Amino acid sequence: MALAEPRLAIATPRPREGLAEVIARQGTAFWIVAALLLVMPLIASPFWLVQILAYAMILGMIALSLMFLAGYGGIVSLVQMTVAAFAAYLVAIFGDSAITQISLKWPWWTAVPVAILLATLFGTLSGALSVRTEGIYTIMITLAIGSAFYYLALQNYTIFNGFSGFNGVMPPVFLGIDWGSTMPFYYLTLGCAALAYAGVVYVSRAPFGLALQGTRDNPRRMAALGFDVVAHRIAAYAFAAVIAAFAGVLLVWYQRQVSPGTGGVGPVVDMLIIAVVGGLSRPIGPFIGALVYVLLRTFALDLLDWVGLEGKRYQLLIGVGFLVIVLFSPDGLVGIWQRLRERYRKGREAQDAQMRTGGGAS
Amino acid sequence: MSDFIGRRPIWSLVILIAVALLLFLIFAVWTPWMELTFGRKRVFLSALFNGITLGGLYFLVASGFTLIFGLMRNVNLAHGSLYLFGGYVGYSIGNLTGSWFAALIGAFVVVALAGILMQVLLFRWMEGQDLRQTLVTIGLSIIVADLLLWGYGGDTFQVTTPDWLSGPVQLPFIVALRSNGEAVMMMYPLVRIAILIGAIILGVAMWLALNRTRIGMLVRAGVDDRDMLSATGVRVQLVFVMVFAFGAGLAGLAGVVGGTFQSLQPGEDTKILLSSLVVVIVGGMGSIPGAAMGALIVGLAEQFGSVYMPTYAVMLTFVIMVVVLAIRPQGLAAVRR
Amino acid sequence: MSAVPSLERLSSAGSANALELRGVSRLFGALAALSDVTLSVRPGERRAVLGSNGAGKTTLFNCVTGDFSPSSGVIRFFGEDVTAFPPHERIRRGLRRTYQISSLFAGLTVLENVYLACRGVSRNRFSLRRPRRDDTLQHAAESLVDAVHLSAVRDRLVGELAYGQQRQLEIALALSGAPRFILFDEPAAGLSPTERADLVQILTSLPAHIGYIIIEHDMDVALRVVESVTMMHNGRIFKEGRPDEIESDPEVQELYLGGGHG
Repeated sequence: MALAEPRLAIATPRPREGLAEVIARQGTAFWIVAALLLVMPLIASPFWLVQILAYAMILGMIALSLMFLAGYGGIVSLVQMTVAAFAAYLVAIFGDSAITQISLKWPWWTAVPVAILLATLFGTLSGALSVRTEGIYTIMITLAIGSAFYYLALQNYTIFNGFSGFNGVMPPVFLGIDWGSTMPFYYLTLGCAALAYAGVVYVSRAPFGLALQGTRDNPRRMAALGFDVVAHRIAAYAFAAVIAAFAGVLLVWYQRQVSPGTGGVGPVVDMLIIAVVGGLSRPIGPFIGALVYVLLRTFALDLLDWVGLEGKRYQLLIGVGFLVIVLFSPDGLVGIWQRLRERYRKGREAQDAQMRTGGGAS
Repeated sequence: MSDFIGRRPIWSLVILIAVALLLFLIFAVWTPWMELTFGRKRVFLSALFNGITLGGLYFLVASGFTLIFGLMRNVNLAHGSLYLFGGYVGYSIGNLTGSWFAALIGAFVVVALAGILMQVLLFRWMEGQDLRQTLVTIGLSIIVADLLLWGYGGDTFQVTTPDWLSGPVQLPFIVALRSNGEAVMMMYPLVRIAILIGAIILGVAMWLALNRTRIGMLVRAGVDDRDMLSATGVRVQLVFVMVFAFGAGLAGLAGVVGGTFQSLQPGEDTKILLSSLVVVIVGGMGSIPGAAMGALIVGLAEQFGSVYMPTYAVMLTFVIMVVVLAIRPQGLAAVRR
Repeated sequence: MSAVPSLERLSSAGSANALELRGVSRLFGALAALSDVTLSVRPGERRAVLGSNGAGKTTLFNCVTGDFSPSSGVIRFFGEDVTAFPPHERIRRGLRRTYQISSLFAGLTVLENVYLACRGVSRNRFSLRRPRRDDTLQHAAESLVDAVHLSAVRDRLVGELAYGQQRQLEIALALSGAPRFILFDEPAAGLSPTERADLVQILTSLPAHIGYIIIEHDMDVALRVVESVTMMHNGRIFKEGRPDEIESDPEVQELYLGGGHG
């Protein structure tokens, strides 16, 4: 399947390193971002912490699971948002919500693992159903599976409570901390997002991730090397589904409610938009895309007013922005950043070289 | 046909029995026992005809979709937007001229032109990059949806049915018997029948064009093997533009048709896109007979579902899709490659 | 990663042919690329399959590896019926192949390509853990790279290699794990005379228990590295024999070798 040009390079496999080595390898940008995220509660208002940053990290995790499949496996799955929505529903169904006649009121430490397990199973089964067909076909099948779930949730009242879904889903109080209050929720989300990010980076260079990238570039050759390509792809779906399921749990705690619209066609497609705008070639891309998306969503009204359009034209803004990215920077914002850095580096090298030759002549 | 009977004797028998049973159900006067199990015959028959005519509409939309995918590997997720755009254009033209035919043809031409613009300005520059093309169509669908909302608002529109097509017509099927023994015949809206006939004629014409004309042969060759098409020295771009224009035009025309016997409103684009997706997944990508088969199945499933199991009507179509995917992932009518 | 085959493998190898095809045909529409091919190769036997273009040689390979399933017929590998097996199952049983057109991972280094191949036929293909520095597979990959004389370019990206080196790497991939039988698809195509000599040396120094079939147009390479020859024409086998018999057979000379040797 032809992914966005230019071709993504395979991440090189690295032998296992100690934690110290990994830490030592990171550049300054990484440390600045990490430090900034850690001290954010000191500088940012609760609105920014939760409505912007935590929300962006949750969406980023779902988009990350999509990026893992698309970037490393060449599988563009639209079912990831549905997996998250399913996990969110399960937390509401097994745990506690305002819909007391359905919710089973299990304690969170049983409800959440069961929700994640079942959602992962759902993601894996969807994968098994769609990997039997090749390439771009996947996008259609996963979109259809996603909308099937949407209609099921919309029309079933005995389990999914139909149109209204569940409200009053509260984050747990554990270790004496209310995980729904601003600062704990921010750190909880940050921890999960960081784990998911590190997990994807690590796995992409482990034998499994390496083989997955092999199946992306040359599936027939991989089979001729003894790899079961279909099984590898399904396993990739399973791994991605775990991330999406965790994000779904956080999502229902963030929104305190879940309804069919959580997994509707709009959000399903939005996840692809987030991942593509951020960049499918690197795990950081989805988080950048999510941040941009959340900022746009929150401040579109002011932005559009400033441009002279009605605030209602928010979708137009998203659509045009997305189209521009797809047309002019297929590897997303991360790609733009990389190209700028490359140009800067080359410019400086050229300058250096010029100075050297200049110095030699004098 | 005889080939199929030879290869699949059991399936042929099952299909034959099903057809015979269906014909019996349509023509027979229902006994009280049957009315008890299947409900009133009128309900059954109207579900059947509504399903078939809805299938006609789905075929109009999905055949363009499947043709574009088959030839260009372009999953046109803006196809639903083209449908809605065509519907609105047809509504406006119909209001201006008062002619339903003008609306139909006008919508076809305008949306076909839009299709040409899409192919020439966007897709020909990213040939072979199927993911990127699909992403572009997603962007387009969001933009078009918002522009249409801007232009036409959130109201529901309906394209006016012309006088000579409005009103019901009597069909030769007995629905029930009056107490005096007089037969009550089935009454059915003429416009739906006309649209069904139109879809069938169009389908046959497309099949003939694809199988009997030079350009059709080229398109089919391209569906099978795109490299071969370019190797023959044909002006591939021209073929692509024509197919895209035709497929988009069909979507526009279907918009007017859908606007006549259903309605036009924001959100209809997504609904019709999802239906087309299921139709082509069930029928098999890139195949016109497959689109016809899938459209019929989905149309019938939706109508019978809404009559006999209203809670899960929409689910039924997706269940069919999942079953087809699990058993025959390439679709019912697709040839194995 | 030791090259010692298990006892069970040895016993099955002793009793059956390494490769056995019975009445294998493959149709593409109306065209028969292979028709009724019956062929058996003993364990450790080295054989050449010769024939003009379109004789069905590569289709034969594709059927044996499972890239295509045959339209009819049975394929046995060391006595086991593998006709319905997917390719990776056959590879895991010790079958290997090289491709006529190099089919490598251009974005990986030489060593990483070989490492991937070693992974494919090892357990833990799904391992989520990164390898240690002293990983046995890593060592196996390194020694394979040495075996095909590519140590000098071990850490170069495959996309940057010269053509001849890519062909050598193809062979290294086929030698990964514990191969029992290898299909070489025109390994000498496009190689210089020195590289051909290298290739012959690699092939003749393979462990004796590894048999292979080689498709090759260059008679000088093909007939020097095999003990038996199968001639194919229009999807059928029409002659089998020792290299010297085939070379001197008037019919073969007429049909295939043509005036080139006259």
